[in-house]
Amino acid sequence: MTVAPQDLKPRALVSGASFNRGDRVFNRVITLAAFTALFVLAGITVFLGYQFIPVVQEQGLFFFTGSAWDPAAGRYGIWAMVYGSILLSVIALIVAVPASLLLSIFMVFLAPRRVSAVLTNLVDLMAAIPSIILGLWGFWVFQQVAADWSELLNRYFGWIPLFQNSSGNFTGTPFIAGLVLAVMMIPITTSVTREVMARTPPELINAAESLGCSLYSMLRHVALPFGRGGLIGGVMLGLGRALGETVAVFFVIKLVFDVNLFRILESEGGSVASMIVAKFGEANEQELQVLLAAGFVLFVGTLIVNLIANAIVGRTGRLSS
Amino acid sequence: MTAHAETILPPRPPAPQQSAGRPWARRGPGFRLAVLLGTILPPVPVIAALLYTDWPPVTIFVAIYLPLQLIAACAAAISQRGTRAAGDAVIIVLAIGATLLAVIVLGSILSTIAIRGYQAMSVAFLTQNTLYISPSTPLGYGGVGAAVLGTFIIVALATVITVPIGIATAVYVTEVRGRAVPYVRFFVQAMSGVPSVVAGLFILVVLILSGALAYSALAGALAYSILMLPTVARTAEEVLKLVPEELRTGALALGSTRARVVGQVVLPAARTGIVTATILGIARVVGETAPLLLTSLSNDRTIINPVGNPIASLPVFIFDKVSLPFPDAVARAWGAALVLMVIVAILFTAARLLSARRFAKS
Repeated sequence: MTVAPQDLKPRALVSGASFNRGDRVFNRVITLAAFTALFVLAGITVFLGYQFIPVVQEQGLFFFTGSAWDPAAGRYGIWAMVYGSILLSVIALIVAVPASLLLSIFMVFLAPRRVSAVLTNLVDLMAAIPSIILGLWGFWVFQQVAADWSELLNRYFGWIPLFQNSSGNFTGTPFIAGLVLAVMMIPITTSVTREVMARTPPELINAAESLGCSLYSMLRHVALPFGRGGLIGGVMLGLGRALGETVAVFFVIKLVFDVNLFRILESEGGSVASMIVAKFGEANEQELQVLLAAGFVLFVGTLIVNLIANAIVGRTGRLSS
Repeated sequence: MTAHAETILPPRPPAPQQSAGRPWARRGPGFRLAVLLGTILPPVPVIAALLYTDWPPVTIFVAIYLPLQLIAACAAAISQRGTRAAGDAVIIVLAIGATLLAVIVLGSILSTIAIRGYQAMSVAFLTQNTLYISPSTPLGYGGVGAAVLGTFIIVALATVITVPIGIATAVYVTEVRGRAVPYVRFFVQAMSGVPSVVAGLFILVVLILSGALAYSALAGALAYSILMLPTVARTAEEVLKLVPEELRTGALALGSTRARVVGQVVLPAARTGIVTATILGIARVVGETAPLLLTSLSNDRTIINPVGNPIASLPVFIFDKVSLPFPDAVARAWGAALVLMVIVAILFTAARLLSARRFAKS
């Protein structure tokens, strides 16, 4: 049997040019499809940015620094909502970060293997709960409990401005919305922090223990520093999710266009994402444009948080492997 | 110690057996007493509070039990092992407390949905639409039938759109291995952070406000695709990486083209994993509400046509009904939440079982 010389050319195994026309088409189609993510991101930037620019030109700096939603006068400022998003995220972080760390410490270092496996499944199931169901639960079940807590905080610590409440109404507060966000964040963050902690090299743990370290000092001097990057990254991934969360916050907070600086037990607050849903229903053309501009602000904010998170996680991933 | 030394030295008296090499096994009566007191004392005021105050149990757990248990554990630790042991006591108590709280929260969510959702359940609820139903109509008439169908149509469309693109993205990263691999992975990761409401706004401004598409199932499906693609692409990439390199080189050595290697060797080998990726993608989006509020709206009729008119869906059904001031409307919302949660649980279990089987094989 004779073989034509061109058939003896070795096919590129890993990458590079292929000699088959079908393969070239195949490569091109796959490459094009692989760039869908880029097209979508660019599309969001361009189309929402295109709505964002005229709004900023019209409203000026007031759009970022002011707090108003006045269709009659045509004045819109989303500072209260931007600040509200940040405030809610900070409350959620304060609760969710220690909770996630403790949960993963329990799952990795304390629990028997079988309990740990069950807990892992439960945490993942919790992460799979749709946010609207969390919102429903937050509004109908958790709100009463959390309002009780708020009342207790207000009764015993009301002299701290943080826990002041002027109306006697403890529902619809940033405190409750922040806690609901924390419930949403905990499984997302825990699934990352658990893996980071489980990756602590056993040699280091054994060495620390043979030097007489207690669990506390092992965590403090070995496990936490070793996984620091991954832990921060996991928290920021959760934060990105919390910033963009819409309906869960919408249900449990009373939307007020006024900057509520720190009185987390007052029944007023908001977030950019929940404002978009709240105002969309009866929005006129101008309001719709402002909502799209607010969506652009939200997109850029979450993108930055996520990029930082991924950079941190990626860097530590390479270090530890 | 060498064997030589052992033979010369006279035998030593045996060391006390309990502590030989295991200092932590020394548990004298003092230790037992400390543990007993530290375990028994904190629940006493808790039981008292349960009996004599009307605080909810969770509040008592957080505000009374955890602090008391912390103090008790610290006191027991310090009395037996010194101050350095107090850190351990704090960590252990807090870690167990946090885990219990998380389990309580999850249990509260699931049990509330099950109990309140069950009240609305009936054949009519699962099959009917809400065309002739007002918010105050009693339960037993009207339900989530149209919304379930709508969710099914939207998710099916999103799956059909997303899965090929997601698999292609994964194939690019693991099979084609072009120069842009780091960039593609970067963009997919960045895309996974797009908030769901922004995905809805994007479809709204590009397709609906421009007049290209009506508020419809297809618009909702496209918004879902944006959220689904990163999950499918990343999971598919993980499973394609598990396909042994020998299969690829073997197929290439037999003379098949690259397209055939992917289509007839790699993808079939990763079949289960790709199903898992699809299921995870569906589970990621099936309960998303915000994009549908902006793109597919809601409808009381049963809609099959995926373009042209608004369509009902489970999340939007919940969203609409729960804010109505009628108990029966709220009960319907809980019923819909139960249906949605059952769907999510089925998807979750299916993904778990499939991936467990995959790992068992490999």
